[in-house]
Amino acid sequence: MEISIIQAILVFVVAFIMGIDQFSFLESLYQPIVTCPIIGAILGNFELGVVVGGAYQLIQIGSMPIGGAQPPNAILGGIMATIFAVSLNMEATADGVGAALGLAIPFAVFGQYAVTLTFTFMSGMMAKADKCAENADVKGIRNINFLEMGVLGCLFGILAVAGLYGGSALGETLQNFSYDFSWVMAGLDAAGGAMKFVGFAILMKVMMSGEMWGFLLAGFVMALLCSANATTSGATLILCAFVGAAIAIYDFTTQTKIKQNAGAGAGFVGGDQDGI
Amino acid sequence: MAYNIPDKYQDLTPAPKLDNKTLNKMVWLSCFLQASFNYERMQACGWLWGMLPGLQKIHTNKEDLKASMAHNLDFLNTHPFLVTFVMGIVLSLEQNKADTKTIRSVRISAAGPLGGIGDALFWLTLVPITAGLTANMAMEGQIFGAILFLIIFNVVQFIVRFGLMYWSYGLGTKAVTLLTSNAKEFTRAASILGIFVVGGLIANYGGTTVRMIVGDTQINIQSLLDGVLPKLIPLLITLGIYALIKKGWTPVRCIILILVVGIVGCAFGIWSGNSQAMDADGNTLPGGYTPLVEWYEYPVPEEAAE
Repeated sequence: MEISIIQAILVFVVAFIMGIDQFSFLESLYQPIVTCPIIGAILGNFELGVVVGGAYQLIQIGSMPIGGAQPPNAILGGIMATIFAVSLNMEATADGVGAALGLAIPFAVFGQYAVTLTFTFMSGMMAKADKCAENADVKGIRNINFLEMGVLGCLFGILAVAGLYGGSALGETLQNFSYDFSWVMAGLDAAGGAMKFVGFAILMKVMMSGEMWGFLLAGFVMALLCSANATTSGATLILCAFVGAAIAIYDFTTQTKIKQNAGAGAGFVGGDQDGI
Repeated sequence: MAYNIPDKYQDLTPAPKLDNKTLNKMVWLSCFLQASFNYERMQACGWLWGMLPGLQKIHTNKEDLKASMAHNLDFLNTHPFLVTFVMGIVLSLEQNKADTKTIRSVRISAAGPLGGIGDALFWLTLVPITAGLTANMAMEGQIFGAILFLIIFNVVQFIVRFGLMYWSYGLGTKAVTLLTSNAKEFTRAASILGIFVVGGLIANYGGTTVRMIVGDTQINIQSLLDGVLPKLIPLLITLGIYALIKKGWTPVRCIILILVVGIVGCAFGIWSGNSQAMDADGNTLPGGYTPLVEWYEYPVPEEAAE
């Protein structure tokens, strides 16, 4: 397939926008059903793009990014599946494009690496964000957001254009690379999963005092119990919030009554005040 | 952290109600909640970006704006489409100059549970239904499928974003005035709820496990640990980091420590981790990856061998 420089630039631009849109902006443009037809149109086979988009979308439905976990990346997967389908001139039917989806998987995995690396690197930028806040630097906060969007967009753009020129040979190289250094990426994955504990610890530092330890453990236990049960596991956090709210409202009511009665020397005075 | 966030704002006069133009601007910016997503604070910096138009109007005192910006950088993870609900509540507290500790507790208590609700509503219901329907149209070669998907998805998204912002801001403004007379008790109650939810977050989002299966009898270390206390490792790491931060460690140092322990640990096959790597036949690696130093044999799952 002959690729003109204009096509390469357009693919870069599309990948750049979708790389950002997967987390920000409309959070829907990046879905394969939208991305693939656009790439198909750039490469001169719009109809094939539409079909690949539909086929990839059906796979993607089962793997949505939930609760911070990241499945192989749909954007690079979709873009590369379209590129393969067009360059190999596949038949525009659901069965015809099946092979293109398989060839695209190494790229989807690398798209995922790009996301993991960006999220790790940006964890370090939070110290800079703290500095901006201390100086009431509004532009600084905005720029940190622009920085990550720019980094993500460029990484996706570069990977997509590399895939456009490198094709399946590059896919194989990427696959071997990820196979040989799987422990590094697994390490990043494990570390990425543990970094949120720093955020939790900062929150604890704000709210924690001697008597609060019991509530921390109670919340921990509540979440464990809810998540162990298939019917409640999906609603774990809201169930936690219900129980937590019950304790908090009770405490609030008791404390305000103690305050009202303080000094009066009276014992318990029944009231019908609501907590909130 | 050199800067200590004060408990109370300097200017305690409630700010005037925000105009609709500011609220609308914040709804648009809320689309960029995850623009600077990262593993440490997740959506914190994008959240602050979205809150700034309101915060700048509310805190005319420069020192108060600094304090407010600093505490609005706490860890935050909520659903990107439901975030405006949290924004409205927090705005009403900021406007009434509630204690910073109260705002921080309320924010995490409201944000955490919404994440689960949002995932269930959007990623597990709206997207599968609309995308499933329209994907079939696309596979027949009809571009209308993609257009229909975009329209349905975004109409729902923006109704939710705008609706929640105005509803929760109005609700919060009303509730807050009731609570100001018992501010100290409210802060305490909010902290209880907040810390309870943080406990829940540790168990809910803490996914760190070990991968080792050792000995001739193939002892699964993680099962042993689960027998002691499920999610023991996430709890211990959180408490460990809490102790380090109390000792004066900066978050960045904690992050670097985690990064080193994560990668070195995986070199020795200690932590579970998914490299998503595949061999030439497209099979994933047993246990997610191959450690650099293989000192125990990870069993090949039997189903895969068939």
